[in-house]
Amino acid sequence: MRCVARVAAPGITESGRGVGPAAAERVVFERAPMRWGRWRDAPSTPFSRRRREIQFAYVLLAPTLLLLVVVLGYPVGWEVWTSLTDLSPLKDGSADFVGLTNYRRLLADAEFWRAAFVTVVYAVVTSVAKLALGLGFALLLARPFRGRTLVFLAIFLPWAYPAGVSVIGWYWSMNPPIPTAYAPFMGHLKYGVDGVFGGGAWAFLSVILFNIWRGSSFIAVLLLAGLNAIPPELFACALLESNRPWRRFWLVTVPLLKPFLALGVFLSLTSAFADLANVWMLTAGRIVFPVIGTHAYWLAIKGGQFGPASALSLTLVPFLLGVLLVLFRLFDPPEREAA
Amino acid sequence: MAQVLMKDLNKKYDEVHAVKDVNLHIRDKEFVVLVGPSGCGKSTTLRMVAGLEEITAGEISIGDRVVNDLPPKDRDIAMVFQNYALYPHMTVYDNMAFGLKMRKFPKLEIQKRVQDAAEILGIQELLKRKPRQLSGGQRQRVAVGRAIVRHPQVFLFDEPLSNLDAKLRVQMRVELKRLHDRLETTAIYVTHDQVEAMTLGDRVVVMKDGWVQQVGEPLELYGHPANRFVAGFIGSPAMNFIEVGIKDGGALWADTAGFRVKIPSDRTDRLKSYVGQPVTIGIRPEDLHPATGGDAPDSTFDAVVEVVEPLGSEILLDVKVGANSMVARVDPTVRVKVHEPIRLALNAERLHFFDKKSEVAI
Repeated sequence: MRCVARVAAPGITESGRGVGPAAAERVVFERAPMRWGRWRDAPSTPFSRRRREIQFAYVLLAPTLLLLVVVLGYPVGWEVWTSLTDLSPLKDGSADFVGLTNYRRLLADAEFWRAAFVTVVYAVVTSVAKLALGLGFALLLARPFRGRTLVFLAIFLPWAYPAGVSVIGWYWSMNPPIPTAYAPFMGHLKYGVDGVFGGGAWAFLSVILFNIWRGSSFIAVLLLAGLNAIPPELFACALLESNRPWRRFWLVTVPLLKPFLALGVFLSLTSAFADLANVWMLTAGRIVFPVIGTHAYWLAIKGGQFGPASALSLTLVPFLLGVLLVLFRLFDPPEREAA
Repeated sequence: MAQVLMKDLNKKYDEVHAVKDVNLHIRDKEFVVLVGPSGCGKSTTLRMVAGLEEITAGEISIGDRVVNDLPPKDRDIAMVFQNYALYPHMTVYDNMAFGLKMRKFPKLEIQKRVQDAAEILGIQELLKRKPRQLSGGQRQRVAVGRAIVRHPQVFLFDEPLSNLDAKLRVQMRVELKRLHDRLETTAIYVTHDQVEAMTLGDRVVVMKDGWVQQVGEPLELYGHPANRFVAGFIGSPAMNFIEVGIKDGGALWADTAGFRVKIPSDRTDRLKSYVGQPVTIGIRPEDLHPATGGDAPDSTFDAVVEVVEPLGSEILLDVKVGANSMVARVDPTVRVKVHEPIRLALNAERLHFFDKKSEVAI
């Protein structure tokens, strides 16, 4: 009863005002159920109301904006400023503005290009491997089997452990602290790899493997959550149409998982691009293959060159923004509304 | 077009015996509905026909082929799911064409079939949209369209209307029936809704706890339920059940506190052996009416009105008879008040009797 009254009321008001046939048409249109709530204001002052709503939205957003400015805007702004100066604890007096000098020097520095190259290799190799392994684990864990809980624990444990403990565990498996049967084997492996690719190659490879080992378990859990969120009928439906698992995987599983895959790639790439902790912890600073992160850390903390170090770490920003934009498109593709 | 044959079909999970010795012969072009409360094994049976569940024991054939070991794709069936199961990343057209593309149909043929199906279902305008831009009813149409384009031997429907609101459900029910008349494809339809089962099915299979309770045409199930479960499950409002003793006093009488009714002579043969024993008596709500002078006194009894539900086309009276409750479906012209006594008469020819222990119809 109440619904009927609500729908009828606007019609009566309109004809009472004598707005004519055009209004009557609009009444029919406005009767669409979703619009009931908005009806009263819609014909009179749509714009002023909308403006008030927008203003109120900003008031509600203010605390978040403030927080973002304090914890994100200020540090980034400070870093940008530092990158344009010769700020250094080694220098007496205040920092001088040097313009783009720090950046110009970087671009001319072979060490920078080497670090950038190593960073890209590190990020891409680990991300591809983590994604492939993680997806494999997720698909394995998605179907029930005996002992699934144990396998789940085994896969998730490297991620659930604190980074420090994981690092020590990894370090000891690469380089056993007590004499073990496979210690000589690991030794040969190290000298073999270093012999072919140069000193420090094994250390770098072990960092990559560590990142994959730990990261793939995280990606696996992320993708498993994604798989579980997909209604099983969608897979059943594919089963009715094709006998070939590989085809179903590419045509159904991958597209359905896309938002989760994009999130996984994003987290993996950004953490690898900005990685300092893994490399530093595993190699204790004896770094032959520096990445941007370790290179910047050397410059700033060991070398006291705050300006160039800031410039160096800011070179990552365009990369990260680019990755973010591409992936954001994948998360949330723009809607093509049909009329 | 094909018949579907299930022979001693069984499904066992680790601890649950979900489907027990199901034997069904679904004829070519027939629309058969599996109905029952949740957990009765109806969906599992359907999924075994589809090949989505392995068959523990027994045999299923579609057409002349035993399909036990055939993968789902090669069974030549098409299935419609309760949640539509449309791919969110594909347009309506691609969703409908999916099965044909997977089977490598030529592009023109796919186009023609999708257009035809879209026309039948009235969704030509929606072909370029994504599923999330559609309403529930439209999505369900697309899901049905995806099944139609395949021209399968058998349609399998797994509660396809359960996610729709009541009004749309009634409308789609009619459309599905019309569609079946037009396409004449054998269909197996699973639902928990007995009204859907009765309105759609050429024949209805009532299941409970993995067992088939009864197979029959809708009115046959309604008029001659094989047991108390079917009697109570089919029909709304449900059949009234009261426990009575059978007494021999020249004729046979059904007798309990506040209720004493003469049993028609044509039923006495079967009930004779129950004299002195309790049986369950079943009365459909529409077989009760306020007593008038024309009613035989030995088929009337006193009741007290507890609740009045005026539905417009009829009135439902919840009444108390002795210690028993009953629902009577009476004419909308009947005027009664709550807590008032009323004398009811029953249509003794249409009484149902069930063995109290086995619950089988007598």
